[in-house]
Amino acid sequence: MEIMKTLLAFIVLWPLVGFLVNGLGRNYFSKKRIAFYASEQIFASFIASIIVFILIKNNGAQGDITYFNFIHIGKLIIPFAFKIDQLSAIFLLIITGIGFLIHVYSAAYMQQEEQAHYGRYFSYLNLFIFSMLLLVLGANYVIMFIGWEGVGLCSYLLIGFWFKNDNYNYAAKKAFIMNRIGDLGFLLAIFWMIAKLGTANYSDVFSNVSQLSTTDITAITILLFIGAMGKSAQIPLYTWLPDAMAGPTPVSALIHAATMVTAGIYMVARSNVLYSLSEVAQNLVAITGLVTALFAATIAIKQNDIKKVLAYSTVSQLGYMFLGLGVGAYTGAVFHVMTHAFFKALLFLGAGSVIHAMHHEQDIRKMGGLKKYLPITHITFLIGCIAISGIPPFSGFFSKDEILAAAYAHNPVYWGIGVATAGLTAFYMFRLYATTFLGSFRGTPEQAHHLHESPSAMTIPLIILAILSVVGGLVGVPESLGGHHALHQFLSPVLLTEVKYETTHSTEYMLMGLSVAIAATAIVIAIVTYSKKPQISNSTGVGKLLENKWYIDELYDAIIVKPLGSLASFLKNVIEKSGIDAAVNGVGKLVNYSSRQLRLLQNGQVGGYILLMVLGMIVIVLIWVNDGYIYRFLMNLFFAK
Amino acid sequence: MHWLLLASDATNNSAYSYFPIGIQLIFAAGFVAFMIALSQWVGPKRKTNDKLQNFTSGIASHGDARQPMAIKYFLVAILFVLFDVEVIFFYPYAVNFRELGWAGFGAVVMFVSFFLLGFIYIIKKGALKWED
Amino acid sequence: MNAIILSALGGIVMMFTGIFTQNKIVIKNIAIITLLLLLIGNLLHFYGIYMLHVDVKDMLQFNNFGLFFNTIAFTSTLIYFLLSGTDITKVGINVAEYFALIFFVLCGVSILTSFHNLLMLFLGIEILSIPLYILTGADKKNLKSNEAALKYFLMGSFSTGILLMGIALLYGASGNFSIESVPSTTSKVAEMANSSILTPLGLLFVFVALLFKVSAAPFHFWVPDVYDGAPSVFTSFMATIAKAVGFIAFIFLFESRIAELGPSSRIIIPFVIILTLLIGNITAVFQQSVKRMLAYSSIAQAGFMLFVLYSNNDISSEGILLYSVAYSFATIGIFAILIKMKDYTFEGYNGLAKKEPLIAAANTIFLLSLAGIPLTAGFFAKYYMLLSAIKANGQNALWLVIVAVLFAAVSVYYYFRVIQAMYFKEGNPEIATTNTSFKVILLALAAIIIFIGLFPTVVLNFLYF
Repeated sequence: MEIMKTLLAFIVLWPLVGFLVNGLGRNYFSKKRIAFYASEQIFASFIASIIVFILIKNNGAQGDITYFNFIHIGKLIIPFAFKIDQLSAIFLLIITGIGFLIHVYSAAYMQQEEQAHYGRYFSYLNLFIFSMLLLVLGANYVIMFIGWEGVGLCSYLLIGFWFKNDNYNYAAKKAFIMNRIGDLGFLLAIFWMIAKLGTANYSDVFSNVSQLSTTDITAITILLFIGAMGKSAQIPLYTWLPDAMAGPTPVSALIHAATMVTAGIYMVARSNVLYSLSEVAQNLVAITGLVTALFAATIAIKQNDIKKVLAYSTVSQLGYMFLGLGVGAYTGAVFHVMTHAFFKALLFLGAGSVIHAMHHEQDIRKMGGLKKYLPITHITFLIGCIAISGIPPFSGFFSKDEILAAAYAHNPVYWGIGVATAGLTAFYMFRLYATTFLGSFRGTPEQAHHLHESPSAMTIPLIILAILSVVGGLVGVPESLGGHHALHQFLSPVLLTEVKYETTHSTEYMLMGLSVAIAATAIVIAIVTYSKKPQISNSTGVGKLLENKWYIDELYDAIIVKPLGSLASFLKNVIEKSGIDAAVNGVGKLVNYSSRQLRLLQNGQVGGYILLMVLGMIVIVLIWVNDGYIYRFLMNLFFAK
Repeated sequence: MHWLLLASDATNNSAYSYFPIGIQLIFAAGFVAFMIALSQWVGPKRKTNDKLQNFTSGIASHGDARQPMAIKYFLVAILFVLFDVEVIFFYPYAVNFRELGWAGFGAVVMFVSFFLLGFIYIIKKGALKWED
Repeated sequence: MNAIILSALGGIVMMFTGIFTQNKIVIKNIAIITLLLLLIGNLLHFYGIYMLHVDVKDMLQFNNFGLFFNTIAFTSTLIYFLLSGTDITKVGINVAEYFALIFFVLCGVSILTSFHNLLMLFLGIEILSIPLYILTGADKKNLKSNEAALKYFLMGSFSTGILLMGIALLYGASGNFSIESVPSTTSKVAEMANSSILTPLGLLFVFVALLFKVSAAPFHFWVPDVYDGAPSVFTSFMATIAKAVGFIAFIFLFESRIAELGPSSRIIIPFVIILTLLIGNITAVFQQSVKRMLAYSSIAQAGFMLFVLYSNNDISSEGILLYSVAYSFATIGIFAILIKMKDYTFEGYNGLAKKEPLIAAANTIFLLSLAGIPLTAGFFAKYYMLLSAIKANGQNALWLVIVAVLFAAVSVYYYFRVIQAMYFKEGNPEIATTNTSFKVILLALAAIIIFIGLFPTVVLNFLYF
């Protein structure tokens, strides 16, 4: 227990120290030292996380580890405590492991930045890791919320990292505001819990859940889910994620694909006890996930920015995870978080490598034929595409299959839409792959001249992630395929036993076959269509609708932003000017005026003063005798009997 | 029960029964004032210069009563009063001389010495110096 | 007892010093040494070391609270001597007598912090007041000073008359001057004298007379004229020590007797508090002279100190001590600077920060403390007073607290006018040359105010050792 307490403290503190050192010393340290120091801090956390993971695996989870009381007001005690169990241990590994790889990658990718900005970048990254660790380790919703806000802040800072570009700043603000809308829900959920149960500790909340009425549980879970919608980019709060691609590509990989956006999944999985008790919330989660998955996939088909495609694919995959959570496949969702972290980080880093090679060109229409210039990137990117498309035995197949199987058991319609989305996923991913790497190069000759494979600091993380994307699924091979689902057994103490699928192995084989077949077909179509002649002309009809992302941004602008803006300007011009300002100035004027009048009492005549004093005394005596008596005296005098 | 409540309480005769007397007093005073005011108002008035003259003991007044005097006069007067009055304390001491014994004697010696200090102070300050 | 004897002796010593020497520096130094002895004598009392064992026949009673207030008063006076001692010697020719009179005032203070008999209350108040009348008129050649002294004397006598009337009524009720015989909620005498009108009426008269002494509205009329007319050095003294002790007398007499005023005390005290706050704060807004503004501000501060009567509990007793310290120290500091200024108007302070940055900074801290800005002693002083009201009456006191806070907000306006003039206006302020020790003491005083603002309990712990 003590060793765990120390280890966890160090895991969290190392990135924080890295943040402080690099943040304060960014003007003094060399780039090499900054990058080394930042990465080394995360690596230390990673090693410690492995030890923690092994301890947990061998000894099982222990109770909360309390460091001190964070808030203590009256009966409400919110300890600064960590909860380390199977679920948080897995997230620890994902965060520190992928975080470390991305630090290494960034060291090369950000090389052109000035020293001070370089230091700023790495200190933000460290701060992000710190916040994310806080988020998953917190033993109560409040500590989670601190981390939750911390990652939101880092996301904001990193999206707007190149703050000289106004569009990037808008994107950063958009991300922050969208997240804040969700956070409000989260916060309300915490308040609700504290109001009803007087605690926000996971263990206390889950063990006292019987004290909550169904309405309470539904309200809390839906409010929590609103928080998750914001952070994990679900309809209707998803629009910030594609815009968040304004940040440096490694940031997109780390924050907007692999870790932060899965915070919502973590939160819902963590609260699985609550969700299992509310049918309504579960259905809401499942349907939101499903709709988001399909919706984002349709948009991704028509995007031409390499990072935007990946961003919509992330939204879509997150939808999958929520589908899993909604149908009770908590393990499946966590499994998918893990595999998705591998292949989506890989894809983003691959995209980063491409962008690096293309000198910050992100439009896939100007790429093509990169296969021969970027061999390592090409192979790893291909692995990522296969993994995300769900082709066995790559990792994405197993996790996606588990979710789909659970969805089928829940409702075949869910499964149908899920499989259709899987087909779309395979299609747009291979459209991206084919347009980028196959065919002939369509960029400027100058770009062609500079095309080169990225340095080893970038390719090595790619290779490691590619290996993980291939074999990562093996921890969760289902029984029907002869495995015994190690992940499932590992997580069973934390996550409720899921709905037992009433499907036989033969049904499962059929489902798997169907989804693989659809994916494979989509892949073939995509490669055939786009490898030779990529679509360059503007689309029309539905295509145009998709290319413009269903005009959702414009819709939000029209129905929310514009009315709010005009309300604000009304308040500013009318209410504030003639209402509040006038009142404030009026008070000032009134005080001044009464001062001028009261001053006249002080006329310098002693006689007058004494008269006023006597009058004052009389008033006091009158008050003294009054107190109801004079009134009653007169009453008795005139109206007595 | 509060003392003021007693006056207002109709069931308690002691205070309330005095109320008519109060009313009667007010009426009496009011009547007198009314009559004086009435006579002033309706009576004939003849104002002549002679009538408005100051008149004391049959002699016409002359000069101003407020003549400046030397401040020293007041100073000596007030100091006289001060020290003279303090001497009065010797009377009760003389009467109780035997009872108070040595402790009383000590106290009086202390009193006298403070007294003396005061004298020394005013003399040193020149308060009794008549000529500058 | 030490304090009373030593302060009276100190006065006599100063009188005779004036006979034997005319050297101002010697006189000032003797005064400081005598005051130090007085302070030490008072501290010794805490440890039960007495100079004389006098049988006071229960007319005086000493407790830690009163002794601690003595310490505060003597310390404030010491700081006052150190800062403004030189200026006292410049008022007129009778230098030693000024110091002697101040010692007599301190004698009155010592009596008022220990009286246990109404006669002693009267004596204490008179011993306190009469030297103040003289000090007010110390600047004999100045017509304003003379006028102020006469006004102060007239109105002071008037209030003394009321006090005596009240004491006479109380004597009539019980046939005794001891305050034990004035009924209180804790003493058995209550039942005996309950039906008598004399007790509440007598208490009301004493109450009014004391209100006059602490300059509460509507008995505050003497304050602006007297404070404005008196030589500034003496205004500083009478606005701080001589005034704060009025509240101590108030507490001793009324701590357990507010209820004896009758049920309407619930209305009278808030009425007086609000009127005092209103008149003090609102009138201060329009003043052009900093000195006169400070006179009104002292009325306003009295409004806050009056909360001690409203709440009547341990917190308010602690709070009044803290308030005395915060208010006295800050006011003494402000006046010490004001005395050095040639022009007492707000314009006179224009641009002081450029010319004398240290003095301006210290002045700012004093003003912030008076305004009750956090991190200064004044904040906690106000906080304790308001807290005590809430503790005493809960929700019912809330409106009063809100009103008080609103008036505190008004006070920020006129205090900040001085800061604004010093820092944000251009000008060439005429300020007398000051030596280094003056600045050092000023800054030390500012540091003490901030220290108390950070650790208010340090002061209060003295009460319990």
